[in-house]
Amino acid sequence: MRARLRDFWLLIYLIPLAFLGVLFVYPLLSILDLSLRPAGALDLSGFVRLLSTDYYVGTLLFTVYQATLSTAATLLLATPCAFVFARYRFRGKSLLMSLATLPFVLPTIVVALAFATLLGKKGLLNDLAQTLFSLDYAPVQLERTLAMIIIAHVFYNFAVALRIISGYWATAGFSVEEAARCLGADEGALWRDIRLPLIRPALLSAGLLVFIFSFTSFGVILILGGIRFATLEVQIYYQAVNMFNLPLAAALSLVQILGMLAMMMIYTATQKKMQLQLASGAATSRRALTGTERLAVGFCVALIAGLLIAPLIALVLRSLLAAGQLDVANYLSLTEKSRGSLLFIAPLESIFNSLRFALLAMIAALILGLIASYMIERPGRLARLADPLFMLPLATSAVTLGFGFIIALDEPPLNLRASWLIIPISHTLVALPFVIRSVLPSLRAIPPSLREAARTLGAGSLDTLLTIDLPLLGRSLVVGATFAFTVSMGEFGASLFVAQRESVTIPVVIYRLIGDPGQASYRQALAMSVVLMLVCACGFIIIERLRIAGVGEF
Amino acid sequence: MLQIARLSHAYGDIVSLRGVSLELPEGEILCLLGPSGCGKTTLLRIIAGLEAEYSGTVAFNGADMRSIPAHRRGFGLMFQDFALFPHLSVAGNVAYGLRRQRLKRDEIDGRVQALLRRVGLEVLEARDVAALSGGQKQRVALARSLAPNPRLLMLDEPLGSLDAQLRDQLALELRGIIKRAGVSAIYVTHDHREAYAVADRIAVMNLGSVCQRDAPRQLYRAPASVFVARFLGLSNIFASDDSRLADVLGINVATLATRAGAILIHPAGISVAAGSSDLGIALEAALVDAVFRGAHYDVTVAAARDARLSFAMEDLPMKLGDRLRINIRRDAIIPLDE
Repeated sequence: MRARLRDFWLLIYLIPLAFLGVLFVYPLLSILDLSLRPAGALDLSGFVRLLSTDYYVGTLLFTVYQATLSTAATLLLATPCAFVFARYRFRGKSLLMSLATLPFVLPTIVVALAFATLLGKKGLLNDLAQTLFSLDYAPVQLERTLAMIIIAHVFYNFAVALRIISGYWATAGFSVEEAARCLGADEGALWRDIRLPLIRPALLSAGLLVFIFSFTSFGVILILGGIRFATLEVQIYYQAVNMFNLPLAAALSLVQILGMLAMMMIYTATQKKMQLQLASGAATSRRALTGTERLAVGFCVALIAGLLIAPLIALVLRSLLAAGQLDVANYLSLTEKSRGSLLFIAPLESIFNSLRFALLAMIAALILGLIASYMIERPGRLARLADPLFMLPLATSAVTLGFGFIIALDEPPLNLRASWLIIPISHTLVALPFVIRSVLPSLRAIPPSLREAARTLGAGSLDTLLTIDLPLLGRSLVVGATFAFTVSMGEFGASLFVAQRESVTIPVVIYRLIGDPGQASYRQALAMSVVLMLVCACGFIIIERLRIAGVGEF
Repeated sequence: MLQIARLSHAYGDIVSLRGVSLELPEGEILCLLGPSGCGKTTLLRIIAGLEAEYSGTVAFNGADMRSIPAHRRGFGLMFQDFALFPHLSVAGNVAYGLRRQRLKRDEIDGRVQALLRRVGLEVLEARDVAALSGGQKQRVALARSLAPNPRLLMLDEPLGSLDAQLRDQLALELRGIIKRAGVSAIYVTHDHREAYAVADRIAVMNLGSVCQRDAPRQLYRAPASVFVARFLGLSNIFASDDSRLADVLGINVATLATRAGAILIHPAGISVAAGSSDLGIALEAALVDAVFRGAHYDVTVAAARDARLSFAMEDLPMKLGDRLRINIRRDAIIPLDE
């Protein structure tokens, strides 16, 4: 009887594996096939061209370069703030910490537009400076510069780094430092010998994550940089869609996949180390007392507020103001399909598309993610394999995923290309790692003795799952579901590939509107961005509410 | 009646049980006593049905338990960390096993009330388990494992995480509650004082084997091996080829046991001689150490050739270095297996 039960569970485990196999691995293999055998026979000329053309080598180098700069800038800004957050208590700290997470659930396209409205040539900052100092030129010249991209990446990743580093620092506490002080360490030695070495795993972990995110960044670079600043991601999209050079796009994707695979493996390894060391967990913060300490807190508050809130305010203001006056016409016009637009539907209709897809993706990701989490948590070889396997979609760029879909799933029996189902499916893949990372820590935190206690009290496997596991996972399941929902709402790269005429989602509509000529379309794009931002902000509030209980690894 | 025969178990290459055989008569409390890592917890987990890989048999009332899963055995297990369900209240925890039996709501409520009364927690019924003290958690865990009327109750170091004072008091209370429930019980501990207080019978375990099984008093009076004597905290153990045994202490080893590896001179049989006595062996020694323990002193004396003996004295009417006459009762000289 027990053997039959085990078979049953193994069958269940097959579901997420099959999903991943057919809808993720198969498209990726198709890319591999297309890149190595563009015409059916082995042909490496694509790679030779790729690696011998200065332009593409430049693309590769630039991708690494901008990701390195973004990572360095993020860590440089986030580490001092993380220290302040770990060590000092101050009014509004939890609110600020919550706000710092906001960008993480904000879609890239919203972030990109927000920065354009703040720092662009006709952005809020330039307007303000010109009015205040009566200048007849724009003092902030960041439009289409690398600096703009880096700033947006810092905005995007600041929260991740802040959370990981400050959480790690907080567990170390004062006592280690006090011990060092008693042994004769001054402030400089404290930083050099204690504080920085202590957070090395956290810096590595956060740095890798930021690097991965910046490496695969698509929306931000496409909108703020354009083809002049093409990274691998943008190049894949450009080659596949604009040039229709599929073999070259496939070769670029392969380079991308291999690079990410390596980084992801290192990341999962550091994650394990982090978990081992995060043991103590005693409250370690105190009030800021000296002038320097207060100054540090003030700097931190100003930085977060300036960096994180200003662009969002600029976006909202720009969407509401026309010719210096409050005007909601931008919003009212969303119900109409403007003439001459590339869109097949009125912008507002895409909201229903997005909501429908997000709901489907959420349910699918939740079910698959829960099963996958159990699989990973099981001891044994399967689990060691499953952990990096299910993280792969996070490491694979959305653009690669979308590209794989259109070349692999375009013929029977899996002709999904024309079906709207392809959108929620791609979103499910992107959301799956988020669900797993939310559920897994809670699952690991359930002591085995609880399940054993339930069994000795007469509960069978299913009974234990329903009465012990699920109630204890409740919060983290909600967090995972909300992540899945907001990720789906904001997903841009894959949707841009697979969304068809009537089934376009909000981010795709925004992108098309930006591409349309004329101020009216641009204003519509701003208004749509604000709508999307509000939907995601609701998700964010739910996550933050529950995160107070310390759910999740993100 | 629980019968365990030739039970062996290994975690990978590490052997945790080597052919353990034990019997537990109906209504008796058996203590498994031993150092950490001796296999006592593994034994409990196998009996509970939580470890499936083992050789040998576990039988209850004649029925082999091997193919019966943990939740159908009707054996209660109280975990070392209590394993209270954090998402349920005190009453919810106690009711958990009853709900699995699909009893009626009033019936469950009634039994939960009665059990909480029995462990003295009736006022905390609706409390969150996270808000309980260590002693209270222990009582909830006990009530929870007793609730479904188990045929056998197992307790894994139930007082392990509590402080010493609470332990003494709760050990007695625990025995009372188990006895009143009339259930057979296996109680795992590494503390011999706790085992004396709770057990009807004690099985001392070492390196995956049971080395002695006896009633508490018998175990204390006549430990069978060097390990058991040491583990019970008994001193005065001499190797049987120690010449001081015959020369100084006047003990003829040959008459005791031929295969004895060591000789224990039981501290309970040593006293300061009031006058001359023929009942035991009398000798002279110097007081070298005395530790005040409240109700008594732990003293150490040195006879000729530095043969040292320790025992307890109610009072200490002398000072260090003084010479005194001591008496060793003949039945306090116990041969031990190596």
